[in-house]
Amino acid sequence: MKFSFARGPSLALAQKVNLLAEHAGQIGLLFFDLSLASIRLRVSSKAIFRQVYLIGIQSVPIVLLAAGLVGIVTSQQGGYQMQSSLPVYIMGSIVVESVILEMGPVLTAIVMIGRVGARITAELGTMKVSEQIDALYSVGRDPVEVLAAPRVLAMMISMPLLVALANMVGILTGMVSAQYTLGLGAERFFYGARLFWHSYDMFYSLLKAFFFGIAIPLIAVHMGLRTRGGAEGVGRTTTESVVLMILTILVIDAMFPPLFLQ
Amino acid sequence: MSELTKKIAIQYQGIAKAFDTPVLSGIDLSVNSGEMFALFGPSGTGKSVLLKTTLSLIVPDRGDVLINGESVYFGNPDTLNTVRDIIGYVFQYAALFDSLSVAENVEMGLSERAIKEMGLEAVQERIWESLDLVNLDPGEVWGKFPAELSGGMKKRVGIARAIAGRPEILLWDEPTTGLDPVNTAAIERLIKQLSEELHVTSLLVTHDVEGGLEMCDRVAMLEGGKLRFCGSPEGFRNSEDAVVKAFTDRRAANAALDILDIR
Repeated sequence: MKFSFARGPSLALAQKVNLLAEHAGQIGLLFFDLSLASIRLRVSSKAIFRQVYLIGIQSVPIVLLAAGLVGIVTSQQGGYQMQSSLPVYIMGSIVVESVILEMGPVLTAIVMIGRVGARITAELGTMKVSEQIDALYSVGRDPVEVLAAPRVLAMMISMPLLVALANMVGILTGMVSAQYTLGLGAERFFYGARLFWHSYDMFYSLLKAFFFGIAIPLIAVHMGLRTRGGAEGVGRTTTESVVLMILTILVIDAMFPPLFLQ
Repeated sequence: MSELTKKIAIQYQGIAKAFDTPVLSGIDLSVNSGEMFALFGPSGTGKSVLLKTTLSLIVPDRGDVLINGESVYFGNPDTLNTVRDIIGYVFQYAALFDSLSVAENVEMGLSERAIKEMGLEAVQERIWESLDLVNLDPGEVWGKFPAELSGGMKKRVGIARAIAGRPEILLWDEPTTGLDPVNTAAIERLIKQLSEELHVTSLLVTHDVEGGLEMCDRVAMLEGGKLRFCGSPEGFRNSEDAVVKAFTDRRAANAALDILDIR
């Protein structure tokens, strides 16, 4: 009994590590296949444009709404906590830096996981369990070229553009909110923003968006193509995929300051 | 290559596959060129798995498949592409692409190379012909999406996609599953008609034993991951094997429940 008690948790841990390594290996191979398909120009530009429309353009309203609310909340909470101890124009810097360095890219990524990542996993998962992926192979087409690559490339294009828009709207709503609640005018807001601004900040924000734009569809496609077990399997895999995408985004986000801000 | 090898279109050599439990345990089976061959067997015995190993949709743990004498798994890496060009696969539930129209679904049955060589007009003609061959009105279904079709029509579009590339071999994975008796008879007539008109080799996996025995030149039965019977339809009908008999005789089927330990 003692032996099996000691063995149980370590076996479970070993299985988890094994599963994680399996995911990492399969995602690595998928990325390699995607790169190869893109370099060989095997991806239809029509399919990429269609996905840019579905993934990017159709996401604009929800991304802007989320970014607008983030700007308002940042401005109001910052003002509430600091107005008695710091000059009020500092709010300009707090809003701009928070939105550009962190809230803009991360919140846009979370919105895109819910709107696009989950959809890709469910769509490809349903295709897998209804033999549509097998049907593609049977007619000599590669699902990586036909299904995965247009989605990943479209997300890589769309994500930095969406984050740039989200940053602008977040700053704008933060500024308007500061004006109404703290009486901070636009001129003093941007004076404060310039005090702690680095020219590198916007690049940092868009670089984050670019990496998020690779990670989200890559995981979504990988999980979709691994789906097994009918409708229940599609539901289970989609949930697992969303959890994995959110965790990955947070890990990438945590790696960015030591890698790019030191 | 000998004359004898030339006559064999599909040859399964010692195919073994296990998922959680063994499904196929070393299947050796040959289908001759131009032949209609039916594969029967209880559910879950690996008939569809065997069919899928032909196109490497499922990779066997052991064994090989030869198509017209060429090894799918141990030969030239390009063999698989060639094999997929000359084989049409009809899926159990049609497996149509939901986001594509009927015409686009059928077009997917043509290889990219064939589409380039044929040109737009010839491709559209081929799609029209293929839909016509499966007794659908091309003008009516052309722009429709799979969700707008009945079960029988979906099966026909799936067949039209499989024959669009004018294959040498057709693999049918339970094409009549889920259809009413009238549609079942219609699809079976279509299978026979297409096999004769297009001069293809057909390997048919089916639970409809009577239909299979009527249509096919030879039949085989898989049971417990092994080949239980392989021979003529008459031989199947007259077999003394209790499990084989169970597929043609209702009373024998009840007796076979004990033999197969099915509760």
